[in-house]
Amino acid sequence: MHFAPIIQIWGINFDLSTIGMLLISGLIVFVLARVAVRNLSIDNPTRMQNFMEWLVEFVQGIIGSTMDLKKGLGYISLCMTLMLFIFVSNILGLPFAIITEPHGPTSIFGYEILATNQAAFDALGEGEHIQLLWWKSPTADIAVTMGLATVIFILVNYLGLKHNRKHYLKHYIEPFPIFLPLNIVENLAKPVALGIRLFANIFAGEVILSTLIKAGIFGLPFTAAWQGFSLFVGGLQAFIFTMLTMVYIAQASIHEEH
Amino acid sequence: MAFIWENFVFAILGFLILYVLLQKYAFKPLLEVMEKRRLLVKQQMDDAATSRTQAQAYVEEQKEALSTARKEAYDIIEQAKQTSVRQADEIIDKAKQETVRLKDEAARDIENEKNKAVDELRQEVGSLSVAIASKLLKKQVDEKDQAQLVDEYLNEVGGKQ
Repeated sequence: MHFAPIIQIWGINFDLSTIGMLLISGLIVFVLARVAVRNLSIDNPTRMQNFMEWLVEFVQGIIGSTMDLKKGLGYISLCMTLMLFIFVSNILGLPFAIITEPHGPTSIFGYEILATNQAAFDALGEGEHIQLLWWKSPTADIAVTMGLATVIFILVNYLGLKHNRKHYLKHYIEPFPIFLPLNIVENLAKPVALGIRLFANIFAGEVILSTLIKAGIFGLPFTAAWQGFSLFVGGLQAFIFTMLTMVYIAQASIHEEH
Repeated sequence: MAFIWENFVFAILGFLILYVLLQKYAFKPLLEVMEKRRLLVKQQMDDAATSRTQAQAYVEEQKEALSTARKEAYDIIEQAKQTSVRQADEIIDKAKQETVRLKDEAARDIENEKNKAVDELRQEVGSLSVAIASKLLKKQVDEKDQAQLVDEYLNEVGGKQ
């Protein structure tokens, strides 16, 4: 069984694995973006700048498919950040995982890791081990994906209230006021679906990867194939998350005159 | 798989910080450059369109100038042709008039000369007649002598001629 290396400081749980992976993937995205814009040029762009511009145009395509591109220009940065961050997070867990197997209570930075306290070892049966998972995709943690989805949820509702208050509030009682609970549930289901979809895809991918690795040498071709497929899934999920974000924003904040 | 609230908060904070940093240090300059390039391309295309229009106008102008010049040249040639024909006619007319005049003059001269000759002859005949008459009166001549006389006279006339 894999456990998260959690330490408690002042009663606050710090999941070192998730925090570390969030930092790493944020750092990778930031460095990537900075390298791409290092020598910006109008008429002689570098390869990385070309790649980043291609991504910007791709994102513009996503925005343009959900709303008038002129109104949506402000969302380019948001979409780029979402896309890059989620994609990099998704594929971080693919090449390898770092798992430690402590045989006794372990401490780090002077704090004991919760999963490795004496009680946990006492409760272990014969032949069982406690394994700590250090390196994984940050998006394989449901708290992280729900965090992202919550950001989007708050943003969508804020934008709906700011740009389109009358129609946004009115849509809750449409077509009849009795639909109000249904519409509220629908609205709440959006971020839940966003978060769980991303988490489940990536988490399941990593579970299958670790299972295949346990199959040893015979599992190798399947492992490689699954890694390739996970790369595709990682990109796809990043795209879906971004796309749905823009769809929700467009639904809430743009009122089309009929 | 537990839901750890602290991770939830860290994920939100991390994402927001990353968004702000990327927005400020990466995407803003990138989008600015892309916008600048868009404007540059637009401006160059506008320039190209303008110069194309100008070139077309210039070509039209040149065509017009060429056709004007051609027309003028044609006119000049036409005029020259007409002038030359007229001059030739004039010259021929003058020559004809001159010929007629010369002919008339010549005829008049001939008439004059003839009249003069006739006058002279008349005077000569008169004086000869007087001379013959005086000779006849001077000597009584017979028929033989008379014939001789006439012959002489005629010889005289012939010799004079």
